[in-house]
Amino acid sequence: MSSSDSNSSSVDDPNPNPKPLDNQLETLNLEQGSGSIIIQNEDDEEGRQQDQGSSLNGSLNVNSDNHEQDDRIGLVRNVVWRRTNSEMEVDVNGPSSPSSSGYAGERGSSGVSEDDEIQEVAKDSALHGVFDSQAAWLPGKRHVDEDDASISWRKRKKHFFILSHSGKPIYSRYGDEHKLAGFSATLQAIISFVENGGDRVKLVRAGKHQVVFLVKGPIYLVCISCTEEPYESLRGQLELIYGQMILILTKSVNRCFEKNPKFDMTPLLGGTDVVFSSLIHSFSWNPATFLHAYTCLPLAYGTRQAAGAILHDVADSGVLFAILMCKHKVVSLVGAQKASLHPDDMLLLSNFIMSSESFRTSESFSPICLPRYNPMAFLYAYVHYLDVDTYLMLLTTSSDAFYHLKDCRIRIEMVLLKSNVLSEVQRSMLDGEMHVEDLPGDPLSRFGSASHLGEHQEPTDSPGRFREPFAGIGGPAGLWHFIYRSIYLEQYVSSEFSAPINSPQQQKRLYRAYQKIYASMHDNGNGPHKTQFRRDENYVLLCWVTPDFELYAAFDPLADKGLAIKTCNRVCQWVKDVENEIFLLGASPFSW
Amino acid sequence: MGCSSSLPDRSTGRLGGLNVSESGGVVDAKNLRVKLVLLGDSGVGKSCIVLRFVRGQFDPTSKVTIGASFLSQTIALQDSTTVKFEIWDTAGQERYAALAPLYYRGAAVAVIVYDITSPETFTKAQYWVKELQKHGSPDIVMALVANKADLHEKREVPTQDGIDYAEKNGMFFIETSAKTADNINQLFEEIGKRLPRPSST
Repeated sequence: MSSSDSNSSSVDDPNPNPKPLDNQLETLNLEQGSGSIIIQNEDDEEGRQQDQGSSLNGSLNVNSDNHEQDDRIGLVRNVVWRRTNSEMEVDVNGPSSPSSSGYAGERGSSGVSEDDEIQEVAKDSALHGVFDSQAAWLPGKRHVDEDDASISWRKRKKHFFILSHSGKPIYSRYGDEHKLAGFSATLQAIISFVENGGDRVKLVRAGKHQVVFLVKGPIYLVCISCTEEPYESLRGQLELIYGQMILILTKSVNRCFEKNPKFDMTPLLGGTDVVFSSLIHSFSWNPATFLHAYTCLPLAYGTRQAAGAILHDVADSGVLFAILMCKHKVVSLVGAQKASLHPDDMLLLSNFIMSSESFRTSESFSPICLPRYNPMAFLYAYVHYLDVDTYLMLLTTSSDAFYHLKDCRIRIEMVLLKSNVLSEVQRSMLDGEMHVEDLPGDPLSRFGSASHLGEHQEPTDSPGRFREPFAGIGGPAGLWHFIYRSIYLEQYVSSEFSAPINSPQQQKRLYRAYQKIYASMHDNGNGPHKTQFRRDENYVLLCWVTPDFELYAAFDPLADKGLAIKTCNRVCQWVKDVENEIFLLGASPFSW
Repeated sequence: MGCSSSLPDRSTGRLGGLNVSESGGVVDAKNLRVKLVLLGDSGVGKSCIVLRFVRGQFDPTSKVTIGASFLSQTIALQDSTTVKFEIWDTAGQERYAALAPLYYRGAAVAVIVYDITSPETFTKAQYWVKELQKHGSPDIVMALVANKADLHEKREVPTQDGIDYAEKNGMFFIETSAKTADNINQLFEEIGKRLPRPSST
């Protein structure tokens, strides 16, 4: 298994061509001082960001990375890690016997056998040639047989680790946590070495690799990546991973560490590998992970109103949040008075539900915590799938509300069936999001009318909307793709991928490019009305940030600048024209 | 005994928790409706037993239960009574242990499952039995289920140990295999027979 994997490009490879070996994570030679190591004071941040911001803003031909890196080397050169090396030995013992956790009044012995939950899966190559990256991805933890001595493990492009402040492994994206005890201890040693100096390690650069650290009380999170994603993005991903953990356990897990610093947390997360691996996978296909916004399923205004009305009914009867979703898209959402749901919480919640197969088998009632709502307390989630993709979540603070919520669900389901909402939802899933080919307003182009959303033209068409074979040209002026984020609504809309960006690899590369430009736009709180136009060999990226919205658009690399700007204006107009259908608007006056 | 034996909290409401809904439920001598909870370590096959019983399916790819799943199934007994089981299939993970009372409170039946190939799960089963003796409904019918009986070549918990433990604790004992469907229906039929009947008209 691992031999074939090491040859083919891994899931995280933005580049379809396998890179030469030496480019990849051969060994993270931290202790040899071969890489440049940057320890940033919190107060350093200002200067550094400016530095990065300026290098990004000016350049047409991207990749300012190299000299950005050179600049940084100037900050701190070759920190000597040998001392750390000796300290490492302090806590390298393997995972010891499960100690009493005291977690939320936990009783009984542990001894959870996780083996059967880990699924043998997915040669990475299974992704190749499959168009829908979500559909192609198989859940489950990969490469459990690896550890830090395996070559294949060292070559992975992006690692994520969760460990405790005593250096005990809690989660690793690849490999068996228990076998990585020594490696975890090393990471812990690095963090505490710097902390002992009254400082904080945020980022270490070692050649092509970035090592990003995030400390959350007794929990340490680390990402080791050679994907060239910006520090801010990787840090944001660590924040989400931490949030996912809080969603499962609440922050009260910290108390276990107060009682026993050497507490082994892995049993508490038993069976949740798939939740984390699916979240990590979404970093490469779901823009919600860096936009901090959610997306809605396009629906006729009336249809969404009908769904909202019935959800609102039940929200009056003691339900804190009633959320109807189809995959990762919101159909409708209602909160009780004053209760508002953070887009990150929605992302983590829907990831949790969708990645846990058991919710599909039957109705469930499960404790969950919304980290942005209240990280200390559990809510109770009634979850029921109404069809294969559409699920209803009713959240409450009351632990004995199951039968009430079940009744609510039956009522909701009846209304949704009667008012055809569910069939509309399924149709919308087939139709997809906005298509760049349909961008209206170009007087010379085909007569495509303004709103294809909700209203269905061309009923003779087969489902799936196969367009005329203009393959390769995308929309007008070489427009390939766009994302529009409404700041006030905390929602975004992302167009369907058009012909030139078909493979999951290409899509991931585009998201990475968006992510990078997003990070650069949000880096150094510049004033409103900021635009950025960047051209490289892959695309032209145009970004426009105003106080109301942000637009990210990708064009053919040969696109004309003036035309591209005009096209962006048309996209914004188009979004305004159909905002009733692509955004959830009615929520506020109803529920807040 | 009366009605409340099969629905212990209906009239008194003394325990709260996830009790059978007040709204419905024809409960008479011929049509019983009971709350049943499955407990046991993770990976012993609780969900597989339920899905075999409710849907006649067996899925070898294990799906970790989150929180608890709710399913129901009605069976007809030989004496022409019907029993509707409202089943709480709880997650075996340690993090949910503290929440178990939420699911077993007011249950008329507890099915405690272990895996014959894993002594630790047998230990865990005993923990659940004690927990229920302390905090469960006093009239609760308890079954000790030794699952994965098809894996007899890997057996590590002798049948006799299960029988002895069950006998000492006034439970009934049965070995099942959700995979082969062995004894699954028998388990629920046996439970049905042992349910206290409401004093009939």
